[in-house]
Amino acid sequence: MAVVDENFDICCSRGGGSRWGLCIVAIYEAGFQCVSKRGLTDFELLYFATNIRPAELNPQRFLGDSDDLCTRYNGIWCPRQSLVTTRLLKDKLRFSPTLHCQKIRSGVVRVLRNTTKDPPRLLLDACAPATAILHCAGLIAFVLWTPLNVALADDDMARTTASTTDSVTFFESYVRPLLAKRCYECHSSKTGEENGALVMETAEGIAAGGSRGSMFSKETPSDGLLFRVLDYNDPDLQMPPAGKLPDDELAVLQRWIREGAALPEYKSTPRPQASQIDLVAGRKFWSFQPLPHVDPPHVDPPQLHSAWPRRPIDTFVLGKLQAHNLTPNTEADRNTWLRRVTFDVIGLPPTPDELDAFQSDESPEAFEHVVDRLLASPHYGERWARTWLDLARYTDFTPDWQSPTDRGWIYRDWVVRAMNENLAYDQFVRLQLAADLIPDTAPEDFAALGFLGLSPTYWKELALAPAVIEQIVADEWDERLDAVSRTFLGLTVSCARCHDHKFDPISTEDYYGLAGVFASSQLDERPLLPDNEVAAVRAARKAIGELEEKLKKVADPATAEAEEIRKSMAAIRTATPHVDQPWAHALRDASLYVQPDGEDRTRLEYRESQARDLPVFRRGNPANPGDIVPRRFLTVLQPEPVAPFAHGSGRAELADSMLTHAAGLVARVLVNRVWDQHFNAGLVATPSDFGSQGDRPTHPELLEYLAAEFVAHGWDLKWLHREILLSATYRQSSAFRPEADAADPANQLLWRMNRRRLDIEMWRDATLAATGQLNLTSGGPSQPVDDLNNVRRTIYAKVEREEMNGILRMHDFPEASSHSPRREHTTTPLQQLFVLNSPWMEKQADDLWSRLKPIEADDTRIAACYRLLFAREVTQSELEIAHAYLDGEINGEHRWKDYLQALLGLNEFHFVN
Amino acid sequence: MAGEVGSRRVCEAERNAPLGMRQQMVCASAAADTLLRDNNMNDKQQNLPTRRHLIQAMGGGMGSLGLLSAMNAQANGELQAAHVPAKTKRVIQLFMNGGPFQGDLFDPKPQLLKFAGQRPAEANLRTERRTAGLMPSPFRFRPAGESGIPVSELLPLTSRCVDDMAIIRSTFTDNPNHGPALLLMNNGTILPTRPSMGSWLSYGLGSENANLPAYVVLCPGKPVRFSILWTSAFLPGSHQGTYINHRDPVPDKLIPFLRNSDASRADQVAQVSLMTQLNRLHLERSGPDGQLEGRLQAMETAFRMQFTGTEAFDLQQESKITRESYGEGHFANGCLLARRLSERGVRFVQVYYGDGQPWDTHSDHDNQTRKLCLDIDRPIAALLADLKQRGLLDETLVLWGGEFGRTPTTENGNGRDHNHFGFTTWLAGGGVKGGMTYGETDDFGFRAVHNRVHIHDLHATILHLLGIDHERLTYRYAGRDFRLTDVAGKVIHDIVS
Repeated sequence: MAVVDENFDICCSRGGGSRWGLCIVAIYEAGFQCVSKRGLTDFELLYFATNIRPAELNPQRFLGDSDDLCTRYNGIWCPRQSLVTTRLLKDKLRFSPTLHCQKIRSGVVRVLRNTTKDPPRLLLDACAPATAILHCAGLIAFVLWTPLNVALADDDMARTTASTTDSVTFFESYVRPLLAKRCYECHSSKTGEENGALVMETAEGIAAGGSRGSMFSKETPSDGLLFRVLDYNDPDLQMPPAGKLPDDELAVLQRWIREGAALPEYKSTPRPQASQIDLVAGRKFWSFQPLPHVDPPHVDPPQLHSAWPRRPIDTFVLGKLQAHNLTPNTEADRNTWLRRVTFDVIGLPPTPDELDAFQSDESPEAFEHVVDRLLASPHYGERWARTWLDLARYTDFTPDWQSPTDRGWIYRDWVVRAMNENLAYDQFVRLQLAADLIPDTAPEDFAALGFLGLSPTYWKELALAPAVIEQIVADEWDERLDAVSRTFLGLTVSCARCHDHKFDPISTEDYYGLAGVFASSQLDERPLLPDNEVAAVRAARKAIGELEEKLKKVADPATAEAEEIRKSMAAIRTATPHVDQPWAHALRDASLYVQPDGEDRTRLEYRESQARDLPVFRRGNPANPGDIVPRRFLTVLQPEPVAPFAHGSGRAELADSMLTHAAGLVARVLVNRVWDQHFNAGLVATPSDFGSQGDRPTHPELLEYLAAEFVAHGWDLKWLHREILLSATYRQSSAFRPEADAADPANQLLWRMNRRRLDIEMWRDATLAATGQLNLTSGGPSQPVDDLNNVRRTIYAKVEREEMNGILRMHDFPEASSHSPRREHTTTPLQQLFVLNSPWMEKQADDLWSRLKPIEADDTRIAACYRLLFAREVTQSELEIAHAYLDGEINGEHRWKDYLQALLGLNEFHFVN
Repeated sequence: MAGEVGSRRVCEAERNAPLGMRQQMVCASAAADTLLRDNNMNDKQQNLPTRRHLIQAMGGGMGSLGLLSAMNAQANGELQAAHVPAKTKRVIQLFMNGGPFQGDLFDPKPQLLKFAGQRPAEANLRTERRTAGLMPSPFRFRPAGESGIPVSELLPLTSRCVDDMAIIRSTFTDNPNHGPALLLMNNGTILPTRPSMGSWLSYGLGSENANLPAYVVLCPGKPVRFSILWTSAFLPGSHQGTYINHRDPVPDKLIPFLRNSDASRADQVAQVSLMTQLNRLHLERSGPDGQLEGRLQAMETAFRMQFTGTEAFDLQQESKITRESYGEGHFANGCLLARRLSERGVRFVQVYYGDGQPWDTHSDHDNQTRKLCLDIDRPIAALLADLKQRGLLDETLVLWGGEFGRTPTTENGNGRDHNHFGFTTWLAGGGVKGGMTYGETDDFGFRAVHNRVHIHDLHATILHLLGIDHERLTYRYAGRDFRLTDVAGKVIHDIVS
């Protein structure tokens, strides 16, 4: 196993990866040879060195105090101890000069000889007994550091001359040992790629320099990069990180640089390519293709189904079914279809009046009327916004380490409105990513930025070292990148954070090209006003805030001073009328730098309106920066040469790239999400993974056709709904047919409608609708879902990322901490305890009883109840069961409420056929 | 049903063989039936409706109950087959939230006395906040048990159980803040987006008792970061920890919606029968459907839970002697509840010591520690003894510790700061070598230096004891296989018996 790939292999495959294994691998790969005078094996030597049997070798013991090693390594504590330490150990072994040592007594090793030409090996006097209980790492550290701590005597230096040969000798004698001691740790040929792409172990590497170019200046040697980092004058350019070199060592290096930085001869070889991804093959992947023009297939239907297709969708579906000798189900009855489509489009049940109207509408356009009526309903936006909010990991509240607010609803309401106004999907995407960067954005559309503006933030303890905070900040960027890439592109770009994506043609460079966009965008809050009015409002708010503070300090609110302050506040409010408008969660262009603050503390530095390109963080470790990657879109999804983003953070260009270069992918992903909602199964079963690990579409041509038409219709969501809802495929019943089930048990070919369990939003809303209590007011701040007096739609129930409500969670509401591709329903007894015993359910039964009580005859009342709850007539056997339950009971009213509560808990109420 | 399903991914199994496998699963249901009957022993004694009575009351026709249980187990994703021989079945974690100081309890450091008030230059004692010189623990240690391991005088009763404990003195974690450290201990990562260990165990091993949740979290209040500590994240939601605030240990208050406020039992039997009847009619009309059947089954379980749940959570069922042996207080109640739940098959019970972070002694450390130990000593000793006496200690792993330890240096004159570099945890019972210590901290008890045990290693070991290879318990999400131990973790074989 190549250790370069260690992280890669472990996280992407299930095997491998014990630290012990890594450790041994490290030793061998490092070229470590233990030569024993007695011919002992290296394992036996290890045993002597550590006093542990190889079989029991404990890596922690072997590695010693990895914290310390890491501390020395980066000057800071590093969270990825084991990996870093392992690599570190390996590098120390690999690139140490050969050391001939003799153990003269327990725990003491004497350096016999120090040559640099032999292959690296550690010669141990193996006659030392097992009592030499040395931590191996300790031993190595000792061996490595001791011989190089040779102070150079002045006369040694004086004796060297300026001739080339002598310069090289000087390099070999004095400079190289110093480089080995001070620089190889991070700039060996193994580690250097990850640390500024600088390898100081070879003459070639030294000559080539790193990602910042050459280390030397021919004209003015003291201006060269190496000279400057060593003299420690520039706080941003200091090496080695552990501290300025001692004067004697510095003198050696400065002299070498001043004298022209002579190097031994070397052969120049081209640098290996950074990425091994085959983009040509990658671009051929199905979901990355531009959208083709697809005509609906011509199906040659058997007589029976010649009239079945109603929309182009149906010919695709029928064609597939026939190819498998299957036939579609018969049409669902009108009540079933109406209940289905009403929940589907507006998330509510049909009213009895709507039921009657539809039943009596004999016109050929009866179905169209219903669909058009529903799509025009203001409740359409509420139902479909919630689906989007799952993807957007929506929360009403932000945590207390941000300035805590409960204003997430401004974004939520924007999504509802965008849906209701049928905002074109491309514009919907663009505004959410970059409303602030698009010219002439309507002020209310700044709320769209809540998609990212409400992103999770993690606690950053500034008393910790920058390396720790850098990791946390990188985690935040990663979460945002993950949410954006999975939501819009259906790609798991986040996999490429530590290594090239194992399955999709996405490189770490691609990842950091995108991550730079998030590093250049900060969460912000703003009033929904044009940019030119914002500054005034901000200033006014600040002034009012200060006056409020001042007012608090005034002892008596009746004094003239207090009155004066109040007057000033009122004056500001008059001058800036929008000053009290609630601020939305948004974004601004500013880049974030994690900076040291004194010894080991951290400070966060925001550079306003400045973009920041990130280096590749090798293996996801910000302490191991590689080459800088300009902010840009994924290579595989655009033509080459790849153009870097040039404007601000690049969010607007990111949106544009998605909607031009990757329009096909974006459309496919969205069409599939809509299809998934309508059929309770996507054409692609993995709605947020359209990469090679994701499923392939069950009906590829259908998906291509719909996606292409969707774009051709101006990214029109309501057009898409209409096509689907009016299809014969959607009109099928969900009835079970054994022979079809045997052939296609998962119903991948759509021989029937899938039954669907209602999400908590739908059944809670349906319950409130049935009891007549539902308050259909839209928008505004949220209310707790377990408040018995809260009778608003469930989309307005309070969602708190840090503390998800128990009732929501119990009913499969997704966690708001990361992107949720689709609802997964669970069936648990606790849900049923809620049905049986919760005060909320009892109240619903009471309310339903109040609604039905005025109906006098039991049978009429039961029939009304069935129409209200199940959108159908009650059957005779159900009537009998009801009578058996209700009749002859002493406490009739109580019994009735129990009956109604039972009906509200039935499967038929909680599922849609 | 071990062996039948193997380690196959659940969703696959469910998707691929909805009909064929159902037949095979009938035999598996027999075992489940036995389990339920056994669990209902107490119900019978009290004349409560048993599962069988309930079936009769509902007019029979429910022969497929066990079958449905088996299907539910499938739907919820249990792996059911052990990767390695399991040494234990269940876990009880005693969580000293806030972080106790190792040097007071299980890791004596006489050098602290010698260097009291100093900060020896060669020791890097820096932590997050400013601390002053070394502060010796005022508490004496005495050799305990046959093993003679020194234990603090603060834990006189617990120290008698030392021969059952493997004391890990060299635990360390990644971050010195409560939130991240709690997350690492619970979820194996400092990110709030990964499943908790309990959820992994529920996912991997399922529940031994269909009437109780597989993963229960007890806390007399809320630990810091709250529910994110028992989240199932991307695992199916049913594996989420069931959080119970046991401040008021009355069954009705422990399980949400366990009791109906005004329906009599007879009323509810009738009501549930009505629902079952109508749901069956609906099912007949709608054809076979695992989702519909599953919900029907869950309703029956919920109904039974009202009695078995009550029983499991009812401390009044314990004898006076047992109750007295545990002592009084929230933690004592938590330990006793943990035993009751654990012996009924709850896979993982966490008992948080208290609301917030009571062990977070930034000031007045010694006095607070004295009080805290008074609270935990008797319950822990009683729990271990009780489990042992019931023959359950062999199959129950007890884990003790905080999210991190505390500094040997003083903060605010008489407090101690967070210390993630080295602290003590111990394991006792199922599969653990008793009477041993493992690993060492430095002379001051600050930093783990020998046989260091990262939290990933601790997790790997716990999973190993339960028969799970931590590298093989994975879940594919967002394009990658996730696991509790991320890309690290090694089993500490030295403490496995």
